[in-house]
Amino acid sequence: MTETPARTRGRIRAAFTEAGVTGWLHAADIDSGAQLDVGADQPVVTASVHKLCVLVALHQQAEEGLLDLSEQTVCPPPGRTPGPTGLAAMLDEVRLSLRDAAYLMMAVSDNTAADLLLRRVGLDAVNHTTRRLGLTRTHAVHTFGDFLALLKEDTGPGGPQALTDPRVVAGLRVLDPAATNRSTPRDMTRLLGAIWRDEACAPEYAASMRRLLGLQVWPHRLASGFPFDDVHVAGKTGSLPTVRNEVGVVEYPDGGRYAVAVFTRASSPAAVLPPADAVIGTTARIAVDALRARTT
Amino acid sequence: MDLIRHLQCFVAVAEESHFGRAAQRLGMAQPPLSQRIQRLERELGVRLFERTSRQVTITKGGTLLLDEAREILARSEALMATARRIREGRSGLLRAALPPDLAAGTVAAILAGFQRQHGGVELELHELPTADQLAGLASHDLDVGLLRHPCDVAGLELGPVLRHELGVLLPRHAPAARSGTVPLTALTGYDLILFPRAQAPAVHDDLLTTCARHGYTPAAVRHGQGPSFTRGLILSSRAVAFGPRDAHPGQDPDITWRPLAGAPLTLRHSAAWPKGRGDAAALAFADTVTDALAATATAGDLPPSPLHLRPAAEYWI
Repeated sequence: MTETPARTRGRIRAAFTEAGVTGWLHAADIDSGAQLDVGADQPVVTASVHKLCVLVALHQQAEEGLLDLSEQTVCPPPGRTPGPTGLAAMLDEVRLSLRDAAYLMMAVSDNTAADLLLRRVGLDAVNHTTRRLGLTRTHAVHTFGDFLALLKEDTGPGGPQALTDPRVVAGLRVLDPAATNRSTPRDMTRLLGAIWRDEACAPEYAASMRRLLGLQVWPHRLASGFPFDDVHVAGKTGSLPTVRNEVGVVEYPDGGRYAVAVFTRASSPAAVLPPADAVIGTTARIAVDALRARTT
Repeated sequence: MDLIRHLQCFVAVAEESHFGRAAQRLGMAQPPLSQRIQRLERELGVRLFERTSRQVTITKGGTLLLDEAREILARSEALMATARRIREGRSGLLRAALPPDLAAGTVAAILAGFQRQHGGVELELHELPTADQLAGLASHDLDVGLLRHPCDVAGLELGPVLRHELGVLLPRHAPAARSGTVPLTALTGYDLILFPRAQAPAVHDDLLTTCARHGYTPAAVRHGQGPSFTRGLILSSRAVAFGPRDAHPGQDPDITWRPLAGAPLTLRHSAAWPKGRGDAAALAFADTVTDALAATATAGDLPPSPLHLRPAAEYWI
């Protein structure tokens, strides 16, 4: 049977259902513009995916001469944005360059590094960057620290265990795209396309952003769908209770390159849910295979 | 001033951070939208937005008013829903749903209780699994339901969550039935009879994960839920099923019910209705359902168990 776009969309929806999630996806061939849309204009909570917008704003400011990426900064222990990785998990004072902080923000989703950079470039600048690139549905309303504080406030004194209560999950404001940092799958593939086509920044700055996106350590989401040694995967994840996202670019040795954005919301609030992570790779692969089949 | 209409404008501009997009969403032109915002600002005596040539940002005062504006809009929608029901039916129609395999006594108690309190409301009751209820609540084809958790609760308001500890149904002469309570590990070698996954995927997966965590991984899961089907499989093909105590008729000569050691498995229910659409009849139904379930529910909260967030979780609480 021929693989029509409708059939591809059906397979992607079935994969989401099988994994116990609701999902929205947009995939685009970076060079031909061919695309696949499964709820691509759904407003979604970005969570740590928004670190990609911070990265772009940082590099634009470097290009404009407003800052130097090798500029040193000191990160003292008090006041760090909490998180399980990078500077957020370290105990002692750290001195590092802005670009190394950007590395930690992208490679391990370091919340402290992200807020350190966000303070340096400014929330308004991040929104200015996304607006200028035509991402009309993308908006950051708070820092990662404020975002996590809101999550903590709504979760209550019980800590993460309280998330087993469905009423607590239903009341989390960070899960409402209208109330927090937001975007759409289509906006995110547009941003990735601009980075890969050197449109977001001059080529040398775009190249360093692509390098950092390629250094992300997580293997369980987008990358899991492409278990091929000759295929390069670069991306940025985002996670919250019930939310698992990743946006990234998949590059084949024949020159094919595809921007994919997958945002999901799981039915279960369980913190460990391997099928919900893996379905991001599964659906991205279905989408990329379909885009590749159209051009051959 | 039409407060509701003006508040709709306020919330739309706040959410879109852009007059053009907000106007588009409201299906109106931009100039009258700007006028409405100015009118509302005058009326409240509070500046709601900072406007620069390129962008609109909500002020601190605007942020403080936003939640209450949303609340008023939600209540107004609920009022309109009630009015619509009164208009459409003789004295109102409530479309409600209960999950299949709820104990017969509970269903009877719900119907009797609701008729007693709200005899004037016509009740259209459906038997629907959680997945179908979620679809019905999202499309507003259902006014209120009774959901099994976990499930995707986005866009819903929930009543109190009640839990029922699950025991195991097994052949009366099975070796595992000899003790008063059965540890899950003692079920090794038995297949498991479970409701079809599509009815409530997360509840299904959650039950299997908890079984695995306590040392029971059934070689096969047989999907079905009718009492005769379940009884047949238990008696003929080395299979067991889980159920709350009250769902098991005690007089079966061949099958017995035993509590599970440590009560690791529970069914959790709560009434649910679309956010902002909980009118008097829907809330009364939710209360009735909650009361009926409470009669057989396990008291107290879930015993606390540790939850280890792993680094890939990215967030930290």
